[in-house]
Amino acid sequence: MTSRSVLLEAKQLGKQFKTGSGTLDLFVDLNLTIHAGETIAIIGKSGAGKSTLLSLLAGLDTATSGTVECEGKPLESLSDAQRAKLRADKIAFIFQSFHLLPELTAQDNVALPLEIRQQPDAESTANEWLNNVGLGDRTDHYPSQLSGGEQQRVAIARAFAGNPALLFADEPTGNLDEATGQQIVEQLFSLNEQQGTTLILITHDLELAKRCQRRIQLSNGAIEELS
Amino acid sequence: MSSAIPRIARRQLWVQLRTTEWRVLILAALLAVTLTSFLSIISDRLESGLLRESASVLGADLVVRSSRPINENRSEMAEELGLTTTQVIQFPTMVGAGDNLILSSAKVISDPYPLRGKVITDPPMVLAVPEPGTAWAEERIVDQLGLSIGDTLQFGYADLVLTAVLKQSPDRGSGFNTLNPHLLVNQQDLEKSVVLGPGSRAEFRLLISGENDPLKIFEARLKPTLEAHERILSLINDQPVTGNALANGLSYVRLSSLTTLLLASLTILLALRRFGNAQQSRSALFLSMGLTPNALVKLYFWQLGIAASVIAVIGGTIGALLASLADLWLSGLLPQALPNAQWSSYLVGPALGYAMLLLLGMPPALEQANVPVAQLLRSDQTNTTQKASWGLYLVSLVLLSAVLLLFLAAPAAAAVLLIMLGISGLLFGWLAQLILHSLGRFLANRLALGRLLIMRLRQQRKWHRLQAGVMVLLLMLLSVIWVARQDLVKEWQAQFPDDVPNYFLINIQEWQKPGVDQFLADREIDTELYPMIRGRLVDLNDAPIRSQLNEEQLKDNSLRRELNLTWRQQPPKHNQIIQGTWWNTDSSEHQISIERDMLEDLGLKLGDKLGFDVGGQPVSGVITSVRDVKWESFQPNFYVIFSPAALQSYPGTWITSFKLPDDRKAQANELLREFPSLTLIDIDQLMKQLAGWLERLAESSAFVLIMTLATGLILVTITLLQALEQRKTEVALLQTLGARATETKHLDLLEFGLLGLVCGSLAVFSAEITLAAMNQFLLKIPLSVHWELWFTLPILAAIAFIAIASQLRAPLKIEQCYAILKSNG
Repeated sequence: MTSRSVLLEAKQLGKQFKTGSGTLDLFVDLNLTIHAGETIAIIGKSGAGKSTLLSLLAGLDTATSGTVECEGKPLESLSDAQRAKLRADKIAFIFQSFHLLPELTAQDNVALPLEIRQQPDAESTANEWLNNVGLGDRTDHYPSQLSGGEQQRVAIARAFAGNPALLFADEPTGNLDEATGQQIVEQLFSLNEQQGTTLILITHDLELAKRCQRRIQLSNGAIEELS
Repeated sequence: MSSAIPRIARRQLWVQLRTTEWRVLILAALLAVTLTSFLSIISDRLESGLLRESASVLGADLVVRSSRPINENRSEMAEELGLTTTQVIQFPTMVGAGDNLILSSAKVISDPYPLRGKVITDPPMVLAVPEPGTAWAEERIVDQLGLSIGDTLQFGYADLVLTAVLKQSPDRGSGFNTLNPHLLVNQQDLEKSVVLGPGSRAEFRLLISGENDPLKIFEARLKPTLEAHERILSLINDQPVTGNALANGLSYVRLSSLTTLLLASLTILLALRRFGNAQQSRSALFLSMGLTPNALVKLYFWQLGIAASVIAVIGGTIGALLASLADLWLSGLLPQALPNAQWSSYLVGPALGYAMLLLLGMPPALEQANVPVAQLLRSDQTNTTQKASWGLYLVSLVLLSAVLLLFLAAPAAAAVLLIMLGISGLLFGWLAQLILHSLGRFLANRLALGRLLIMRLRQQRKWHRLQAGVMVLLLMLLSVIWVARQDLVKEWQAQFPDDVPNYFLINIQEWQKPGVDQFLADREIDTELYPMIRGRLVDLNDAPIRSQLNEEQLKDNSLRRELNLTWRQQPPKHNQIIQGTWWNTDSSEHQISIERDMLEDLGLKLGDKLGFDVGGQPVSGVITSVRDVKWESFQPNFYVIFSPAALQSYPGTWITSFKLPDDRKAQANELLREFPSLTLIDIDQLMKQLAGWLERLAESSAFVLIMTLATGLILVTITLLQALEQRKTEVALLQTLGARATETKHLDLLEFGLLGLVCGSLAVFSAEITLAAMNQFLLKIPLSVHWELWFTLPILAAIAFIAIASQLRAPLKIEQCYAILKSNG
């Protein structure tokens, strides 16, 4: 694992919130190193700051102190446009509530990020990825015509289609029943393995967390690496 | 992505058209574009047809207009400068064929004519002047008299052959001349017809054309020598060709559309705000995929632009269709077919549509760039730019106001109206909320839902202020227009008693008077002939009057034109002497009886001596009595009556009016057959024409009214939708805590019912105050309370609010309640 290069590194990361009575430290001096190709689960109680940590690592939010570096470049030094380019080229997300656009077919939803980065073979790549997630015969269907599990598979296809270096998944099975959730997890991990993508997963589900190479627990403003 | 953005924008719009905010937005914008397109096309056509100054409308580059024959030296001066001239005489006269008669505007012309523009006839003619012995008449004359080409028509004592129908002609003259159908007659036939005697009312015009420089020299030389009865009309001096009444009318109609435009703008603003808020997670998703904030804003502007284009095409087309329908609707009331509108007027409505959507869409579109992507992960992340965007809204509203003022063409009046509407809206909103709050407190312990109601009223007070501000203003305006329309018509009808004369007979020459007297006496038509001599008021107490009056008095109409003067032995039966005494036989001076308003307006008094210029001769008299004149009596009425000795020897014509019942109307034709050069004005017909105009005016205000009402209802829909959306969480909480679905429904309906009642009552109250002020100061008719409004308006408003709210309110199931609370927690 150590032979792999460092993809993402949080150094002395801190996040404060203003409250009515003063300030609240969500975390202080948090350090985390993530290597390319790793799978990491971030677990913790509700309100522990899992989503905030994910936002900071993905460059969607700014830390109160410390830095987050992606391939050695501090994210806070990038302009909005540079961060947008970084997201387009290297980062993908899978959300709990899928976030597919209702007016687009499954194929168009998958092709959307590719079109954003002006990839010429967007359509064929989208079809290929829908085949990979087992929805090759549903390319022309709209989200409303798909089940929850199928929608999340479209979202997974969308995430992988751009060949990202870094994939953030926020409770990807949170809106699905257990059996479907299980299928989705299988698919996610198998594709991740094939692609060698770095996966950062937020979950409540300890069983799911166990599928990751590393598990990090966030509590009382500090992280603890579980064995 | 550059090619993908328009495609995504189009798809996004297509799917969002199913949402209420887009439907509401499209409807409001469509109404605004349709109305402005219609108004700009129709007013452009009216303006170019009747008002716009152009050489082709004047028929020349410069025109000298006079109420007396033009002095020869005018044309000599022009010709010396190398300019071309020609003379036109225009006057009202009766034209007959068989038993049919019509009042027309005869234009006596000679070659060359016109000097600018074109006379278009059917069949087309080589010369623009009828041959001697022939005439060209406009369609209305041909129709009314049942003529065909080759038939003979009677023009005074002359018989002329109709050789062409007049389709279009420039140089239409001023005042009533523009409205009566035209008849073109050759100069050589004028004498034969004997229609124009000394003192007859006519407009004499000298048409001049040529190069710009000699024209300017001519105008400069003419100006210092211009007589009081002469006017110069030219494109250079920018004087209006016709009175401003129509121009004022047009700007009034445009102003009346301001309310609709404001309501539409407010609706679009609220709809777009709601749309903007609903777009946040979608925008966050786009940003999460790496779309730059700039590209995201571009995407939303594309969406707005596509929507605006669709609205522009549909609204512009409907507006243009309505404008062509208006042609049929106005036919018969306008003097000639209206020219086509300029192509630019077709673009005004669509351009306004683009301006409304893009300007009002600017703040929500720009806001999307600042949406936090993290909100996709954490629901507590909301847009922190809300406060900053108020500045953006202010900028967009100021820009839109500027565009609206530009469209309304009368920026000052529109700005005042805009401010007045704004202030009244705020005031009404504040008042309504205050009343609602007091009502809530009153009901708190008297109704089962009272306590919840008062909480609700407090919580929704901002929305109530907005909804009430708009609704009270709208309902008040509608009530005022509705009632004033009825009052005006009633008042107009009430002022004519049944026995008023229905014919005016004018242009009776001195030599015709005994014959006309005899004719009327033989048929027992009760009437009296009055001499009419034209003179201009020039002196007051032997010094020029103009130097003795203040600025306001100098604007008085009696100084700006020649007055019709008369002389009489006895006071007219229908006038009442209110000051002084009728002729004092001992006095050696000429005496004057003056009309009350003229006396007051010019600040005159008994004993003042007035000097007139009558055809170049001075005539003066001392004011010895003041009369109250009922102008609406349709009797010959005069501002100034002289004692007989003063004017008896001056040449003039005679005038009278009389009543002929329907079954004796044939006698009017008999009279004209015997005296073909007289002009008979059929008041009944004129009244019908006026009534037609009033009706059209009422109909056009009703059209704007309906558009306003529709926009108002759309606005209420969007505000209610917003309010209902906002209280979903509250309803969910109440139901989760044990309230029944019917109870929360009743609470909503009770709130909206009360809001409707308060809005309706406030609207009636303010409408009554406005109407009372109008009746007192403007119409001068007795005050009245409109009970029907007090009963109907509050109830109708409450029903409308309840109906729209129940339509929009989707009942919540308990499972949904929990989901809502969870997602908002």
